Amino acid sequence: MSGSTPSSVAPRLRADDLARATSRSLQIQALLTPERMQGPGFAFALLPALRRLYPDRQDLARAVARHLDYFATHPVLSGYVLGAVARLEERRAGGEPVGEERIATLKRSLASPLAALGDPLFWVTLRPLAGLLGVLALALPPPAGGAGPDARVLLCPLVTLLTYNAVALPFRVSGVARGYARADQPGMLLRSLRLVEWQAALAGAGSFGYGALLALAAVSLEFGSAPWTGEGRALIEGTAPLLLGAIVGWVGLRRWPGGGVEVALLALSMGVGLAFVF
Amino acid sequence: MLPDLLRIALLGGTAALDRIGGWSFMFSQPIVGACLAGALVRPGPEWELWALRVPIGVGVLLQLLLTDASLPAAQRQHDTATAGVVGSTVAILSMARLHETYPTTGAGMLWVLVGVGVGLLAAVAGGWVLRFHRARSRADVARADRLALAGEVGAFERLYWGGVVRAFAVGAAWSWGASLLGIALVTALLPRLAGFLTSRRIGFLFATLLGAALAAGYHAHVRGRRRGRRLALIGAVATLVLLSVLKGPR
Repeated sequence: MSGSTPSSVAPRLRADDLARATSRSLQIQALLTPERMQGPGFAFALLPALRRLYPDRQDLARAVARHLDYFATHPVLSGYVLGAVARLEERRAGGEPVGEERIATLKRSLASPLAALGDPLFWVTLRPLAGLLGVLALALPPPAGGAGPDARVLLCPLVTLLTYNAVALPFRVSGVARGYARADQPGMLLRSLRLVEWQAALAGAGSFGYGALLALAAVSLEFGSAPWTGEGRALIEGTAPLLLGAIVGWVGLRRWPGGGVEVALLALSMGVGLAFVF
Repeated sequence: MLPDLLRIALLGGTAALDRIGGWSFMFSQPIVGACLAGALVRPGPEWELWALRVPIGVGVLLQLLLTDASLPAAQRQHDTATAGVVGSTVAILSMARLHETYPTTGAGMLWVLVGVGVGLLAAVAGGWVLRFHRARSRADVARADRLALAGEVGAFERLYWGGVVRAFAVGAAWSWGASLLGIALVTALLPRLAGFLTSRRIGFLFATLLGAALAAGYHAHVRGRRRGRRLALIGAVATLVLLSVLKGPR
């Protein structure tokens, strides 16, 4: 087995192998299952590097098989684990005494903290913030007089996409290379990412943005043309249905966190019922 | 309508891949899907103005209602990725078909409501469709183990690419089918409700959804966050001051 016997020419990974691992890491969840999570995706993303390191078919198959096991981390940060593991596999293929257990330990020691730090940053904070800023883009003035194409139909999604990817993309692009470079210092690698600091800053921005949204809603949600006014608009300015929806939403999500769809449908059903009664 | 639905299928497939496959570029956010659907669907020049505005309303409301700050997207039970795409498409194309019953100039808000309602229902039904993809993924993982043990690495790679293609195809097919079904249902049901759907009732429903959306936003952005309420208050005051300054010289 090439992992335990020194080879005459130690195989080395090239920059394009790492680049291909980076591009494949974008598909890391395509075969996500609760039993393995991103395990198959990890093996798939690492495959270009493993092919370079293990020219022998059986060695390659064994390497792939050991990476098919359970693996779970944040998808945006998966590159750091991929890079670090690629580095250890390179040493193993070059004949250094790097056992399977050491590789598995490194995977776990990086994957778990990256998931624990990545979820609050990307899922809990950045994703909602990006959506909120997209919503706030609605406050930008519509075309004069309500005529002409409304550019906000492109602006709102653009703001959302740019906000999220301005933070996430650098982590994705540099992940594999940085993980490869710092495979021996996983602790330092984790600290260097400053994920906690990012999360704290963005959480504050989210709360601030929500306040801005409330203020804009209070002043008036401007959709930009006369047809939004009239009797319906007068009712919006009345607080009763707004309060009804707010109470249903607030209580519902407090009781069923993550049940946004059900709570929204409940609010809509109650609204339908009351609208037809009154 | 066919070219519209083909474009929507591509958009839905992209959104599904973004969410299921792990792209996570946020194409799967409701505001992105709804607004891009608005830009892609072309019901005709006479509807152009509303075909752009209605999706913004659908996207904004769905974004606030479906922003779930608690779970990774790939583990959610509902298909929120294509909800905006389907809701927006159904609203725009139904609007063009039912303009005689509901003249657009008086019913813009109705079509936003229709889009949000259809989007929410599509999120629930789309979750059932996702189960198909997950069941197939389970079978594929078992097959991947066998292929790796047999040394068939190339076959494993093809199997995985197949999973990527399936994620796209499921999203595309679902967006296409759900949009068609939604348009058929709305076209069949809404004319029967013409007597009930007054602007007063539409306004009531819209305000209820807006209230629920703002409450959902509170849970996503403020609740449980350190100094969240204080920062939200500062944000609100700062915005009001800014608005008053901007409006001052007029």
